[in-house]
Amino acid sequence: MVLLAFALVYGALTTQLPIRSLPDTPGPPFFPWINTAILLALSLGLLAQGIWAKTPDDGSPEATPDGATEATERWRAVWALGAFLAYLLVLPGLGFLLATIPFFAALMVLFGEKRWLWVAIGSIGISVALYVLFRHGFDVFLPRGVLPDLLATIIP
Amino acid sequence: MSPDVLIGLTQATGLLVLLSTCIGVVIGLVVGMIPGMTISTGIIVLLPVTFVLPADISIALLLGLYIGGMTGGSFSAVLLNIPGTPSASATAIDGYPMAARGEAGRALGIAITASFIGGMTSFLFLFFVAPLLANVALEFRTEDMFAVLFFGITIICSFAAKSLVKGLLSGAIGLAIVTIGQDPVMGTQRFTFGQVNLMAGVHFLTAMIGLFAIPQLVSNLTDMTGGAKQIQTKLASVVPRLPDLKAIRLPVTIGSLTGSFLGILPGAGGPIAAFISYDYTRRASKKPETFGNGAVEGVAAPESANNAVTGGALIPMMTLGIPGDPVTAILIGALIVHGLAPGPLMFLERGDFAYGLIFSFFWANIFNFIIALAALRLLVKVLATPRALLMPTVAVLCVIGSFALRNNFFDVYVMLFFGLIGLGMRWLDMPVVPLLLALVLGGQLEENLRVALTSSQGDIAIFFTSPISLGFLFLSALSIAWSLRSAWQSKRATNLHKKELTP
Repeated sequence: MVLLAFALVYGALTTQLPIRSLPDTPGPPFFPWINTAILLALSLGLLAQGIWAKTPDDGSPEATPDGATEATERWRAVWALGAFLAYLLVLPGLGFLLATIPFFAALMVLFGEKRWLWVAIGSIGISVALYVLFRHGFDVFLPRGVLPDLLATIIP
Repeated sequence: MSPDVLIGLTQATGLLVLLSTCIGVVIGLVVGMIPGMTISTGIIVLLPVTFVLPADISIALLLGLYIGGMTGGSFSAVLLNIPGTPSASATAIDGYPMAARGEAGRALGIAITASFIGGMTSFLFLFFVAPLLANVALEFRTEDMFAVLFFGITIICSFAAKSLVKGLLSGAIGLAIVTIGQDPVMGTQRFTFGQVNLMAGVHFLTAMIGLFAIPQLVSNLTDMTGGAKQIQTKLASVVPRLPDLKAIRLPVTIGSLTGSFLGILPGAGGPIAAFISYDYTRRASKKPETFGNGAVEGVAAPESANNAVTGGALIPMMTLGIPGDPVTAILIGALIVHGLAPGPLMFLERGDFAYGLIFSFFWANIFNFIIALAALRLLVKVLATPRALLMPTVAVLCVIGSFALRNNFFDVYVMLFFGLIGLGMRWLDMPVVPLLLALVLGGQLEENLRVALTSSQGDIAIFFTSPISLGFLFLSALSIAWSLRSAWQSKRATNLHKKELTP
């Protein structure tokens, strides 16, 4: 259903494309129309396949003995994605180092590291190493953010 | 001999290029052996470095990683019974039983030697076949190129292992994403929603980083049991003995030839070549019953095949611009970033670079052999690297990689968006590779289709009058028919199996 909705939205957007072309030649919407047709046909095909293949057993997922573990793992993934999103939101403003160190530490904890000293050393050490390597070694303009101003305030 | 050959050899033998090849091989061996890290992820992680390095050094680094990764995959397959890469799956069948009876060093020595011979065979294929094919491809007109690209797109079917419809849908989504930005013929804005950042379209490397790395990260989070196995890191001599070398002559020949040939066919890839050569070798063996119980031939055949695939896969990439597997798709992206478009014109306009690439491939195989044999005992210790350090590093490198492409945060958000698409596709059990192939080939496919139709004033007969175009369209039809047949057979076998299980 999600894919069918995507095909319909894509088709609707294609109708809004400007038709600018010479006579008897394909214009800008030509290829998107072919795509729309393919997407619609395939998503309808998948839907039909799903309905056809449905048996009485299919609807209820079997309870597994390690259901609790699975739920924990799923939550861990959700937390990681949440941390990723938060990291990307604060990265431009805070700067690479201030944003990366807590993000790295959070991921280390999510990946099972329980020794806090290791978390601190790993997150600070690798973040700083990556910053120095890419900012100064390869001239990638990683954002500095508020750290230089902060340091200037602390160390006059 | 063309002067480009000598210039290419000189370029590939430069000190920095050789050093870069060596570093690439070491990283590849490490990446390949770590379960949960694929060669594609390794290359994606290394991409930001290549954006700022010269093209010859960058490509040497990535080729080293590609070749090292193929061999590294066998290390964890032998020592842990967990293939580091899908291509090493067949190696585990006989490699792990050998390790279990205390012959891990012997198995790894054979794997490394077989990889070397496979790689060098495919170098010969690459060196002699690629320039010939490029010459032929120079004669192609737009309608022919459309048919070649269409053939490339039909490869999607071969990646749709479980469901043909889902595979095709994944490809169609990729084609839809390709239409974002300026259209390739008239420059009209399409699906940009007034966003300036979308005017140039979605960069496929950004999409690729998200599609591969984010689901990998999540799957490593949800499967935290991989690192718990005991690792046999104490190895006896890894240099193969003479009787072993005699025993692997035939398997290595089968593997090298099968791998080089299957590598040329886009879509076949390392795992298929490895299993096919394993099967051929078992059939040709006088002692087929030893296979599966630690036969040296069972290690040699798949290992030579998966390394032979690397050179083969570079042939369609360099001559037609068609990626044979996800790794060559990423290599195309890396070349485009440096202003080098793989395709028929590459040998004509940048012959020096094309031969430089081929010779870098040669050196990468030599270094891979030497480094893997010499530093094996040290390298296998990497298997004990905690994921808690490795995976966060991968995550941060993905952010740096997508940012460094255009120094734009918008690309980082696009990367995360594609990461979520990748997760959604995994949840829906849809393969990601067809989407990737469509992203690489879609733009050119549309451009060639529209230019050909414009030149014929909308008459589609243009695609059926040229023999080259007709030939490739026929091959495309065969490719689709073959996939449909395979899907039908697999479904039939599943149904039969279900019926047998029903009391």
